[in-house]
Amino acid sequence: MSDPILEVESLKVAYGRVQAVRDVSFTVPEGGLVALVGANGAGKSSVLAAVSGLIRPGSGRVRLGGEDVTRCPAHRRIAAGLVLVPEGRQILGTLTVAENLLLGAHRRRRQAAPESEMYDLFPVLAERRALPAGSLSGGEQQMLAIARAMIARPRVVLLDEPSMGLAPKMVDEVFAVIEKIRASGVTVVLVEQNARRALRAADTGHVLETGEIAHSGPASELLQDPRVVKAYLGVE
Amino acid sequence: MLQQLANGVFAGAIYALFAIGFTLVFGVLRHLNLAHPAVFTAGAFVGIEIAARTAIPVWILLPVVALFGALAGVLVERVAFRPLRGRDDEHFAGLISSVALGGVIIALLQARYGTEPKSFAMDYFPQRLFEVAGIRVTLTQLVTLGLALVLMLGLAWLVSATSLGRSMRAVAENPTAAKVLGVNVGRVTAGTYALSSALGTVAGALLALNLGQAGRDLGASIELVGFAVIILGGLGSLWGAMAAGVVLGIAEALTIHLFDSTWKSMVAFALLFAVLVLRPRGLFGHVKVREV
Repeated sequence: MSDPILEVESLKVAYGRVQAVRDVSFTVPEGGLVALVGANGAGKSSVLAAVSGLIRPGSGRVRLGGEDVTRCPAHRRIAAGLVLVPEGRQILGTLTVAENLLLGAHRRRRQAAPESEMYDLFPVLAERRALPAGSLSGGEQQMLAIARAMIARPRVVLLDEPSMGLAPKMVDEVFAVIEKIRASGVTVVLVEQNARRALRAADTGHVLETGEIAHSGPASELLQDPRVVKAYLGVE
Repeated sequence: MLQQLANGVFAGAIYALFAIGFTLVFGVLRHLNLAHPAVFTAGAFVGIEIAARTAIPVWILLPVVALFGALAGVLVERVAFRPLRGRDDEHFAGLISSVALGGVIIALLQARYGTEPKSFAMDYFPQRLFEVAGIRVTLTQLVTLGLALVLMLGLAWLVSATSLGRSMRAVAENPTAAKVLGVNVGRVTAGTYALSSALGTVAGALLALNLGQAGRDLGASIELVGFAVIILGGLGSLWGAMAAGVVLGIAEALTIHLFDSTWKSMVAFALLFAVLVLRPRGLFGHVKVREV
């Protein structure tokens, strides 16, 4: 296997006295799709926040393409191609759809895709490009949040709960988009409460429990693992 | 009557220039920067000193004053607001520390320039008087009005159509989302203060140019009306501040015309009071920088 493009080593995150992440390590191979699953509050989102530079980890290292980015601010990591699609979408509702996309591209001017490419990928956004992004439906906003990351032509995209709060049909669409992203060669780290869907899409999975990785392995094996099935997948 | 209206418009242009800088910082960062009047005063003194020392023409002087203002603005943010960032009472504490910094700035001005007002040289700017349809206007007034218009429209353009403006609106709406998209929030904050104070110092220099002189109470003389303008226009609204500046300028001028100047401030504040009671969010409703 090629060298990992993203390495997370002994990551610890605390909010005050609450230890949200304790000693999480994993690597992501170039072009891979790694899923982090687990219950609410297991520390999945905190891992992504620390990897993307939104919060400072208490300790640990994050490497992108072999380079240590642990001390880099979020905008430097974006410039280096590490882009987050945040939980709850964080759409700028008063800005237009097009302005949201422009902001997504502004740290990677040289590498960024043209806006039109995103409109081809997400036709629904093309029709609404001049409207305030706040007028989009929840599913459309999720598409915009993903488009806003993809326009930067990232090397690694971190997806935080992309299916949260969406109707089943929109969930299918979101996962179809994730497949497309992956097929285009972009490395994906996917955090999801919908563990079954996430593991089906992924090649590798990590199950987080109270801030630690409890189980790891090929996603197909985790889907069969009785402990994982019992705790996170239930009976279909 | 028409003469009074014209005078009101000229005064209003200065009010509006003062107010848009203040309201910009509030709109983007939710900071009430009460050092703004002191920065405004500093702009007047610095303008007068540079004019006296170098005799550069006014169209070079004002950009130099703006540059000084931009630096002062960055400094104000560093000193009065940045150390408080992240505290629960960040906004209230910032308001108090900016009052204190304003006092320091005025004290520094007094230390450098003394207590007496400073004047522009009599012949610094040509004293021309025009008469159109019975209204007398000076060249200084025309320049002030023209420049105020250009600066306000320029700011509106900057906020709505440039990359910096887009980042400012992103920070105004949701700093976390802005950060996720790689907006350098520290730099946008500095940029917002630089713009705000550049506008404030130019407004101060322009008022001094109109009066021929400036005292250390120049900012104090305008701040209450300036704040009334900001509230009237709706805190954070650029168009609101511009329109309300002119409305208040005219209201004051008409009051002087109909009664006398002792009633001037009373009318301004009666107007403010009436608007607050009838339209608590200001004449222009709930609008923010993002809706320039």
